[in-house]
Amino acid sequence: MQALDKALAQVGSVVLGKTEQLKLALACMLAGGHLLIEDLPGMGKTTLAHALARVFRLDYRRVQFTSDMLPADILGVSVFDPDSRAFSLREGPVFTQLLLADEINRATPKTQGALLEAMEERQVTLDGATRALPDPFFVVATQNPVTQAGTFVLPESQLDRFLMRISLGYPSPEVERALLAGGDLREAARALKPVIDPSGLIKLTAHVAKVRATDELLDYIQRLLEATRADDRLEAGLSPRAGLGLLRAARAWALLHDRNYVLPEDVQAVWSAVAEHRLQSRQGGSVAAMTQSLLQSVPVVRH
Amino acid sequence: MARIYQIPSHARTWLTLGIVAASLPQLLRGPLWQAALLLLVLGWRALIERQRLASPGRLVRLALLVATVAATWRSFGRLHGPEAGTALITSLFALKYLELVSKRDAYVLIVLGYFVCATVLLFYRGPGAALYVSGCLLLLTASLAGINYSDTHARRRQHVRTAAVLLGQALPLAVVLFILVPRVAPMWSMPLGGGQARTGMSDTMSPGQVSSLTESSALAFRVEFQGPPPPPRERYWRGLTYSYFDGTTWSQARPRGWRDRDTLYRGRGAAPPWYQSLLAARGDAAGYRYRVIMEPSQRRWLYALAVPFTDLDGMGLARDWRLVADHAVDTALGYRVHSVPAARAGALTLEQAERDLMLSLPEGGNPRARALAEQWRRQYRDNSARVNAALGYFRQRPFHYTLQPPRLSGDTVDGFLFGTRRGFCEHYASAFTFLMRAAGVPARVVAGYQGGEMNAGEYLQVRQYDAHAWAEVWLSGQGWVRVDPTGAVAPERVELGLRGALQRAGDGADAALGGIGRLPLLFQLRQWVDYLDFNWQKWVLGYRQDQQRALWQRLLGGVSPWRVGLALMVSLAVFAAVLGAWVLLRRRDRPITPLQREFHRLRRALARRDLTAPAAASAAELAALVSRARPTAARAAGHWRCLFEQLAYRGEQPPARAELAALARRRRALLRALRR
Repeated sequence: MQALDKALAQVGSVVLGKTEQLKLALACMLAGGHLLIEDLPGMGKTTLAHALARVFRLDYRRVQFTSDMLPADILGVSVFDPDSRAFSLREGPVFTQLLLADEINRATPKTQGALLEAMEERQVTLDGATRALPDPFFVVATQNPVTQAGTFVLPESQLDRFLMRISLGYPSPEVERALLAGGDLREAARALKPVIDPSGLIKLTAHVAKVRATDELLDYIQRLLEATRADDRLEAGLSPRAGLGLLRAARAWALLHDRNYVLPEDVQAVWSAVAEHRLQSRQGGSVAAMTQSLLQSVPVVRH
Repeated sequence: MARIYQIPSHARTWLTLGIVAASLPQLLRGPLWQAALLLLVLGWRALIERQRLASPGRLVRLALLVATVAATWRSFGRLHGPEAGTALITSLFALKYLELVSKRDAYVLIVLGYFVCATVLLFYRGPGAALYVSGCLLLLTASLAGINYSDTHARRRQHVRTAAVLLGQALPLAVVLFILVPRVAPMWSMPLGGGQARTGMSDTMSPGQVSSLTESSALAFRVEFQGPPPPPRERYWRGLTYSYFDGTTWSQARPRGWRDRDTLYRGRGAAPPWYQSLLAARGDAAGYRYRVIMEPSQRRWLYALAVPFTDLDGMGLARDWRLVADHAVDTALGYRVHSVPAARAGALTLEQAERDLMLSLPEGGNPRARALAEQWRRQYRDNSARVNAALGYFRQRPFHYTLQPPRLSGDTVDGFLFGTRRGFCEHYASAFTFLMRAAGVPARVVAGYQGGEMNAGEYLQVRQYDAHAWAEVWLSGQGWVRVDPTGAVAPERVELGLRGALQRAGDGADAALGGIGRLPLLFQLRQWVDYLDFNWQKWVLGYRQDQQRALWQRLLGGVSPWRVGLALMVSLAVFAAVLGAWVLLRRRDRPITPLQREFHRLRRALARRDLTAPAAASAAELAALVSRARPTAARAAGHWRCLFEQLAYRGEQPPARAELAALARRRRALLRALRR
């Protein structure tokens, strides 16, 4: 699909050397899922979110989460309008097509909860009135690694709302050198030209659902899910929702590679991004290593 | 505060039902307060579960325990023994339900429930009882499954299914244990005296005693013949002989000066002369071979056709051809008999003391009967002619066979012979024996059963209403000869059995038999149930030490302990292996598809050529592996991979046979390319 390649190239021009992560982020959007980016400050998270918004020509708002933030600061508030003598809703920043929730783990659980609920329901209820959020609606949340001071860990149930979690990581020396030489990429991101418009994105999302997944492939996904449940190094296995998410992400990945059917490689490509943040190790140890080793141990073709 | 264990609500139903079901047989049999106690506990427990009441404290529990023990003592007079023990266990079982504090208590309660189920079988032992207890086990096992299920949304029915599967899996094990575990005497023969009413013949006979038995259609015993059964008129099941008459009552007696060992041979020590002569007279005559399965009668006498020979294990043969058990029959008892009528010839001498007893009559009374007998004595020289005279008398005078004879008092024999002339077998047997003794013919009354019904052509059922009394007279040269005076009056009683005789006589006493003759369907149903019960008795309850040893001999070729032990171990091992295999095979819920087989064929073929792919490899990885190692085969590998992915991940339908063949061709092409 040419448009998608072009979009990828556009975003790649401002987030340098991270093609794999960009593809995941793009697949996440195509799959209609929300994205969590976990990284230290200054790794280009905001730039990525900005670039994504630009290439799809989405309304974009950014909220910097702080510990004194209230749900109303995100969702909006009813105010009394003395002229019309009625309450009217002043919409919060959530009423946008792409919301960048920066440092979501700085907010109190209450505020986090309000956002995550809106993400799941794709609507907001205030004072009894329910308002739908725009379509498409994406949240790209960023999170500092939880060891940092003054953060509230997102509970597992809420992590489950994010289809993928990626982290960008430090750039390679050459890329860093180019960065230093090239100047402000955030400005460049703001100047990106749109490639696909929102209605095109909605069509692509609908297309993702039609990508074929045969019984053979569904069996493979199921074996992976079962393996997480049988693994006693893990606290709990993946939920059925996670399984559906995995399939959707794999479909989007296939579409991104211009295929209308899913290969096991597609599942493997999105596996870590989809599974890792939903799993917890029982006795410490790296969840990333465990999820990878699961992928090594589950046969792609049953024997 | 300590956390109180809560039974999951989905398990509670089964537990409550299981407790009620396991206790019910005892509640029906035991004193009323036990039912009240269980209701109290169930109600209390329900209130605890709804948090309306607190769990009873230590003092309350202690008080309940003391009260229960005291009530058991009051009801039974003791705390040990089967009845009192079972009652106590059942009550304590109910009380335990009240003190569920931890999950451990729930386990104790359920295990106790299994024990209570086992006690049910001490008192009830038909196929019905076994079925009922299986139901109880199902309920208890379901609750056991339930309390181990932490999910609060578990479905109730699922526990029963689990329990049924568990019990089904345990069944083969139970069969093996049933066959192989040795029967230990004290466990398998718990005495249950007292509680059960004695049925059947008693050791004395007075008018009205046998006829009262005919009101019961309860089973007396069953007989399974090897070979054809004797015709109905020969089915005289002897149980007792009455030799002493005091004017109203006949009773058992020994000749004066004789002792027990003179009349009874138990198979130990030297055989007495009379027994040896019976054996000699038996020779190798065919006779009838059969197995009697007797219902518990709480009496020692056993029933058999005349002259019975057995292995004398646990019983003895009396000089008058009775079989006497060593102990009262308190559980169903099976014994094999070989009856040889011809062996009568082995008893052709009558000792003086015996003759005196068989001719003895009370001092006075019944003058008219004595006069009649005296007349025959003078008229006929020969004893058999005197017998015929008496039978002729019964036949010619208007005697009538009925279950409801008028009451007799005073000289009962005279009153019957010359007055009422209406009577039942005991009247005829009694009057006939009296006449014979008065006429100088040694005679005795024999009590037992006559007839019986064949069920399904396989075995004979003898019921209480087949009870009968007849006479035996001593004829020189013939020995003891059976004479049935009832047969002279009502031949159909002997030929057709009691039901036939009464129907023909139009006697209203048919109702006494429960009117079963009138409802053929009900009768048929009863026969079926009895058939089932018979086989249960024969194969399950009757499986005792001797049969077990015979079966061991046949199955294992010996009965030595190591052989049986080894068989037990091997059976258990086989059982475990089968179960294990089943569990392992069941994990593979769906069979592997042809496509998957094709994939692994290539993977293995590559591994043989030192191209070992990881177990979790995909088609692309296989192809990449080949391309890296042998760039010349890369094309063929790509072809194969392409088609595999096409078939596995792209096709709408599972691959057709032709497509699979094409894939196999590409696999072979790839392998050929590797060889180059």
